[in-house]
Amino acid sequence: MNPLRRWGAFALALAASTAPLAGQEYPKTPPPPGPLTPAPFPPFQEAVLPNGLRILVVESHKQPIVSLSLSFAAGSIFDPAGKEGLAEMVAGLLTKGAGTRSAEQISEAIEGAGGSLAAGAGPDFLSINSTVLKSSLPLAMELVGDAAVRPMFPETEVELLRTQTLSGLQVSLSQPDAIASRIFQRTLYGQNPYGRSPNPASVKAATRSDLVAFQRARLRPTGALLVVAGDASLAEVRALAVKTFRGWVGAPPATPVFRAPPARTKTELILVHRPGSVQSNLMIGNLTFLPNDPRTYSAAVANQVLGGGASSRLFLILREAKSWTYGAYSRYARHKGVGSFEARTEVRTEVTDSALRETLAQLRRIATEPVPLPELEAAKGSLTGSFPLSIESADQVADAVANARLYGLAPDFVQTYRVRIGAVTAPQVQATAQATIRAGAAAIVVVGDGSKIYESLKGIAPISIVDPEGKPLTPADLSPKVVALDLDLSMLVPRRDSFSISLQNNPIGWQRGLLDKTADGFRYTEDTHIATFVNQTTVLEMDATGRMKSVKQTGKVQGQDAMVDVVYDGGRAKGTATTPDPQTRQIKKVTIDTVVAEGTIDDNAVQALLPALKWKAGAKWTINVLSAGQAEIKPWTLAVSGTESVTVGGRPVEAYRTELTGPPAPLTFWVSTAAPHLLLKIAIAGAPVDFVRVP
Amino acid sequence: MPARFRPTTFALAVLVGGAGALPAQEPARIALESYALPNGLKVILAPDRSTQVVTVDVWYNVGSRNETRTRTGFAHLFEHMMFQGSANVKKAEHFQLVERAGGNNNGSTAEDRTNYYEELPSNRLNLGLWLEADRMRSLAITDSSFTNQREAVKEERRLRVDNQPYTGAIFEGMYALADSATCFPYSHSIIGSMDDLNAARVPDVKAFFDLYYSPNNATLTVVGDFDTAQTKRLIEQYFGGIPRGAEPPPVVCQATFSPGTIRRTWPDAKATLPGVLLAYRLPEYKSDDMPAIELLSTILGQGESSRINKTVVRDKKLAQGAIVLANPAAPRRGPGVLLALGISNQGVTPDSLEKGLSEEFAKVVRDGVSEAELAKAKNGYRTQLITQQQQTLAKAEAIQAASLFLGSPEAVNTNWRRFLAVTVADIKRVAGTYLRPENALVLLITSGAGQ
Repeated sequence: MNPLRRWGAFALALAASTAPLAGQEYPKTPPPPGPLTPAPFPPFQEAVLPNGLRILVVESHKQPIVSLSLSFAAGSIFDPAGKEGLAEMVAGLLTKGAGTRSAEQISEAIEGAGGSLAAGAGPDFLSINSTVLKSSLPLAMELVGDAAVRPMFPETEVELLRTQTLSGLQVSLSQPDAIASRIFQRTLYGQNPYGRSPNPASVKAATRSDLVAFQRARLRPTGALLVVAGDASLAEVRALAVKTFRGWVGAPPATPVFRAPPARTKTELILVHRPGSVQSNLMIGNLTFLPNDPRTYSAAVANQVLGGGASSRLFLILREAKSWTYGAYSRYARHKGVGSFEARTEVRTEVTDSALRETLAQLRRIATEPVPLPELEAAKGSLTGSFPLSIESADQVADAVANARLYGLAPDFVQTYRVRIGAVTAPQVQATAQATIRAGAAAIVVVGDGSKIYESLKGIAPISIVDPEGKPLTPADLSPKVVALDLDLSMLVPRRDSFSISLQNNPIGWQRGLLDKTADGFRYTEDTHIATFVNQTTVLEMDATGRMKSVKQTGKVQGQDAMVDVVYDGGRAKGTATTPDPQTRQIKKVTIDTVVAEGTIDDNAVQALLPALKWKAGAKWTINVLSAGQAEIKPWTLAVSGTESVTVGGRPVEAYRTELTGPPAPLTFWVSTAAPHLLLKIAIAGAPVDFVRVP
Repeated sequence: MPARFRPTTFALAVLVGGAGALPAQEPARIALESYALPNGLKVILAPDRSTQVVTVDVWYNVGSRNETRTRTGFAHLFEHMMFQGSANVKKAEHFQLVERAGGNNNGSTAEDRTNYYEELPSNRLNLGLWLEADRMRSLAITDSSFTNQREAVKEERRLRVDNQPYTGAIFEGMYALADSATCFPYSHSIIGSMDDLNAARVPDVKAFFDLYYSPNNATLTVVGDFDTAQTKRLIEQYFGGIPRGAEPPPVVCQATFSPGTIRRTWPDAKATLPGVLLAYRLPEYKSDDMPAIELLSTILGQGESSRINKTVVRDKKLAQGAIVLANPAAPRRGPGVLLALGISNQGVTPDSLEKGLSEEFAKVVRDGVSEAELAKAKNGYRTQLITQQQQTLAKAEAIQAASLFLGSPEAVNTNWRRFLAVTVADIKRVAGTYLRPENALVLLITSGAGQ
């Protein structure tokens, strides 16, 4: 045989060892990795301007695009107490009028060039970011510079952002994951700044001069970091930066010594009662370490084994094996101050306790058992193998280096990361997990329907219950109590309650309630008309002691027939209700046949009976209420929160401000402090609708 | 970033597919090679050796539009089954193998397509190809994994739809415009109904696999750091032996335009603020009108200087946020949809927000847009395309979209010209054709607080 041909065959065989030939057999096992040429971390350049501004440039000329990011130690941890949300508001306003441009001129300029410009604040840092086509780099630098150094904080923009922030807070109260995160942070960090979050009062308290003072003090060049990635050179960036930031000097004040977060020695559970929730959101975790802790690498491996991804224990068990959830993950959160570990998942209501117990078991397991070698190698392989993917674009390279610099990680963190991960051992993982994943001293937050999950969670850890805003509740607020209502029957005299219903002061309807004596008790007839949305009449019969006898409701709600016909007799409620289902808009017919505890009232009876409650400052009632449309009995709470003056018929009347929680939307009632205790006004949480008494 | 407008962030994150990423300005041209195996598998290769990353991306020509009336949600449920193992890959091992390699993988279901991808360090390209081949040739379909995944999908529905504000309204806007009688394919949601999910059975899975998951109904795209000759050999070795399947039945949809305004209230118990959703019927994606419609949607409602953000959000303060999107989930070969979603500021009723939004639509129908507005939208389009081309996965998705929705992978390198050719006259014409009140569905979203 021709030696050349033999050599050719040999070469082909070699190639086939990594790249099999056509017609070769289909492999029955995963093909082994090919060789990966070790690639050094992509190059980047750094410089410091005379005013202390650091510059980091990652050059890439693959596409005519460049991104800028200017970061400051000016995150929400620097919000003054009582003004939480200030840093985020500052960030939001930096691009709303700066230099010589109004907000609209800024957005016209950047969007006209096809670019983007935005600023945001996290717990530690405030960043201004822009991405533009290469030809617009000078414009982007100018806009970023104006935003950082010359923001104008126009009053109108401040108020617009305040309105939007308040609305955003309102929206976040409807989002279970946002509720869970907020309460979890608060529980972990307490009064430490990482535990605080904006609330309506703090957002309202922040003045324009607070915003200006924050920007002037904290947005200073010393310690700030300008990162440029893409189609630009260091020389080009430096020249632009020198021009843009001329005359800008100084350093932010030193970071104050914050109050230490609470030390936790045992596990506690915060149950956030979200009535009607079809899922429970779980968060479990504890405080950990500072960003430059040497355990960073073993912690990353521990987390990868436990909950870093879809091949980690939590996902494989909670989702794949048990089908309890769509996903279950864990992570270490890095802060400039002490960080945290958290595991989180969302599960359907019925398996809340099982999922929580299993998650806790997995947290204990990683802290008490060495990770088996194949699992350890898989986790390390994943972390090192994913590194090329994390630095695919110039932006990503820049982010990785910027993070290392901002958090004060080791100078060679990005270059040595893979090697250090590769060196982690099973005993190191266990030791780190034992110290930093503390199932026995964890904060657990569960956001869900407390009436369905409280009992099953009781055995897991001591529970405190709060509402989505974090206000304390008692178990009685969750579950029906067998307590008769204590009524002052002498107050149930014939009366007429008339209300004008208005939307932002524009009348849109009316309500009239009539209480009459009957042969053996009372009849309450209520008519409600709100524009085209609601037109209904309710007739409620009660006996002489205020017990429910029957309720009949007819009319239309949002154009669809709504009907209730329920009879209360012998400790049972029986009947039917027809209501439009809010999800499907289909008419939903509900059959009711249920035991009702003594003292249970119909939801339509609340207004009828108000004057007969024994009113005084600080009074609080928990009442079992049957809502026929929802086919459920649950406790509603009526609590006097203070005294306020209400204008009725042009005259001020002193009233108990009273919060009603339990119905789908919480209500506020104002009831006259003087007898007879008449209902003067009703407001609906989150809706701009008022009912005001017409004398 | 402070999430000032979470609902749309959600909508984008969950629904937006990978279509539309095409080169622009003076973009680096994507070098492509495409061919088909004898079994009908279409292959597109786009090597780029500048980083050590490679993406394997398989699109099956199947989505919710192929579902039958009693099995809505099935295409998505089936997508979950694709991660439950095959002849040589154990249940859940797919995720593990990819993660151990340091890669990412996922799948998603849209109306018109189902995609599966692996992003990998380039020395593991063989793993990505083999995993895709193994499930295409030998998907494991068992009772237990099916029951398990059906529960996972129901959980996903609870998490992403039932438990979230505004999502129900967005779905209604996306699917209520198509007439269920004449266009069932686009008249139901991707996530499907709980009843249909409950009714689904294992034989349905088997039949669906046989009908839609054959090589001749799939396109394999590989983008990134690989050697072309070597990769072709691997593809032949792994996929070549999979038998061709029957051709799936055609999808039928009769589009109707401008049948009259539909107005409804949409109670949303999970919403704390009311809102408004406007939905307009659009033509199929490859229509000559689409570039103008997409640019118009940008001018109306994407970015701070967009019309609706300037007037409705900033000047009139009716909404805390608003956005206008054409085909929010992904392009469609059937009739599309343009959505405008606004979430009221505190104290603003759906009625007054609707008036504010509708005025902007009426104005653009009447007066069109300015040259400056159009130039701005085109610049934004360019930047977006170039940004997307920085990563292999986005490139792969753009190539797939060009192939499926525009008929040729090479369109990824040319489609941008159609956008840059749009004139203000085109914009006025498409506004007048599609954004008329009689072509709209109006949903007045009332918050839970409104009962």
